[in-house]
Amino acid sequence: MKLTRTKAFKTFADPAWYDNPINMQMLGICSALAVTVQLKTAFVMTLAMTFVVSMSGLIISLMRRIIPGNIRIIVELAVIASLVILADEFLKAYFYDISKLLSVFVGLIITNCIILGRAEGFALSNPPHLALIDGLGNGVGYGSVLLSVAFIRELFGSGSIFGFSVIPESAYAAGYEDMGIMMLAPAAFIIIGLMAWVQKYLANSRKS
Amino acid sequence: MVELVSIFLNSVFAGNILLAYFLGMCSFVAVSKNIDTAIGLGFAVVFVLTVTTPVNWLIFHGLLAPGALAWAGLPEVDLSFLKLIVFISVIAAMVQAIEMIIDRFSAALYAGLGIFLPLIAVNCAILGGSLFMVEREMSFIESVVYGFGSGVGWLLAITAMAAARIKLRYADLPSGLEGFGITMIVTGLMAMAFMLFSGITM
Amino acid sequence: MSDTAKSILFALGMCIVCGLLLTAAATGLQKRQEQNRITDRQKNILYTVDLISRDKQYSPEQIVEISENNIRKYQVTPSGKIVSPEEAGGKQTLPIYVYVDKDQIRAYIIPIESQGLWGKIYGYMALEADGSTIAGFTVYQHSETPGLGGEIDKRWFQENFEGKKIVDQNGNFVAIQVAKGDVEKQVPEEKKSHYVDGISGATLTGKYLSQGIEKTLSRYEPVSLCFRKNRLRCRLQETEPAQDEK
Repeated sequence: MKLTRTKAFKTFADPAWYDNPINMQMLGICSALAVTVQLKTAFVMTLAMTFVVSMSGLIISLMRRIIPGNIRIIVELAVIASLVILADEFLKAYFYDISKLLSVFVGLIITNCIILGRAEGFALSNPPHLALIDGLGNGVGYGSVLLSVAFIRELFGSGSIFGFSVIPESAYAAGYEDMGIMMLAPAAFIIIGLMAWVQKYLANSRKS
Repeated sequence: MVELVSIFLNSVFAGNILLAYFLGMCSFVAVSKNIDTAIGLGFAVVFVLTVTTPVNWLIFHGLLAPGALAWAGLPEVDLSFLKLIVFISVIAAMVQAIEMIIDRFSAALYAGLGIFLPLIAVNCAILGGSLFMVEREMSFIESVVYGFGSGVGWLLAITAMAAARIKLRYADLPSGLEGFGITMIVTGLMAMAFMLFSGITM
Repeated sequence: MSDTAKSILFALGMCIVCGLLLTAAATGLQKRQEQNRITDRQKNILYTVDLISRDKQYSPEQIVEISENNIRKYQVTPSGKIVSPEEAGGKQTLPIYVYVDKDQIRAYIIPIESQGLWGKIYGYMALEADGSTIAGFTVYQHSETPGLGGEIDKRWFQENFEGKKIVDQNGNFVAIQVAKGDVEKQVPEEKKSHYVDGISGATLTGKYLSQGIEKTLSRYEPVSLCFRKNRLRCRLQETEPAQDEK
């Protein structure tokens, strides 16, 4: 059996590309965009988000037979909130500079619709290993969008990638200027809109 | 007084919780298809933000902040790491309580707002409002004004968006841009327009 | 067991497990977080006097070491005397950091606390030993709108302050203002050294910051005056902080 046909691969690839959580399901863009001014913050946010979505999937899937149905949402929220707090405290202790830039947005992972959606829609009805892989796939899909937006914004907004200047001095001398708009909120909306366009266009042409 | 007015104006315009901080996007995209529901949800957000932000202020400064438990003889205790989990529970509980109160006292209001209230519990604008209130070290009165202002800003943004989307229905868009893509681009343009208000000085 | 009882038991169990786990994590990491906060402030103090470069990375140990070798913390009495923290006791004093190089005061650094558009702005301002020239300025905590007022934590804005004067030609205290736009275009020639370039779209942040800096500087004015008028005396006091002024 080819790798691309296995259930595990499909579980990973579906959320990572085909049903990419940001573009296709329109979920979870809340906290995503505010941290895309720099690649560094977007990258750390991706890691935090992947950690929370995959671990919450795993834990909830492990407990899926014992969680009482009538309080399942609150149990899911409690698991997610605890994981987010863990991630937040960890960042504050080991990556202080970045956690200062992320400010409240790590905390807002709690209300990210992807996580509760995956817990409710996937982890509750699937075995732990698949739930974990599904979480990782969602994290990667989320991260790929976040990092692409951040890449564009950092490259054109501050002329650097991961903080390293990539636009040569000679270009600035010749009259090139960084685009101030890229640092501001509207640019993020427009970039994400254009990305959704491209992905939907490709999906449409694949179908026909 | 001037400070309060400037907090209000800023949370409505230049520092709009949706257009400058990206909070409350999920319901913004999903609900702005219809102008009546958009306005209904907008008012529900104003209401819930105005109530939960000050309530969370009281809870944070009365129980969680470093040294807040001094009255109980525990001045050393710092429970602020619990703020995320406490705030989200308070919001969920408040939404539930508000729903029951409205249901009991005003059938008309319940018919209008009732169905939106459960949606709001997971709206990140609400949690964001409370977290920013802590982050910005606001006083109690400021938190009331800020909660109300953010709600009004959100209402303004979603109403404008719903109105724009009515027009968009008749627009001939390139394949793939319809729906989510164009909504985001219009939101971007709207965010730019709102930023122009940042020049207002008192 | 009924379903309700089971749900309540489960919820209770969850609460206890989550609570214990989080408290353990928070308490375990608290020391490190506190250390990070302190190091971050020390780093910002060092930036203001160019003891470390913003282009390079430093380990926390390096920061602490550079800080301990060069920066000393004192208190300032309302009359402008620099005293050691122990001596100040419970009296009304303000904190001050002094950059000492080869037993010479190079600069003194005062903590800035200002109202912002949203929340408080915290930072440091270093003044050279002549008591009138700004050596550096940093912001380590703020909650201004990213891209607008948030620019105050950017290098271009902070480096703006370097070399500006807080006194006019006649030696009168005038503090420092954030201009509305470019200093070149907006400010008359004779006042240029008391203004820094503003941030477009963040007039209010600039206004609040100007007010905050002026308020802080005027509270520290006695000690600045001492540096301006009587450098030697301030220096002598500094090298032997315990000695009382006659």
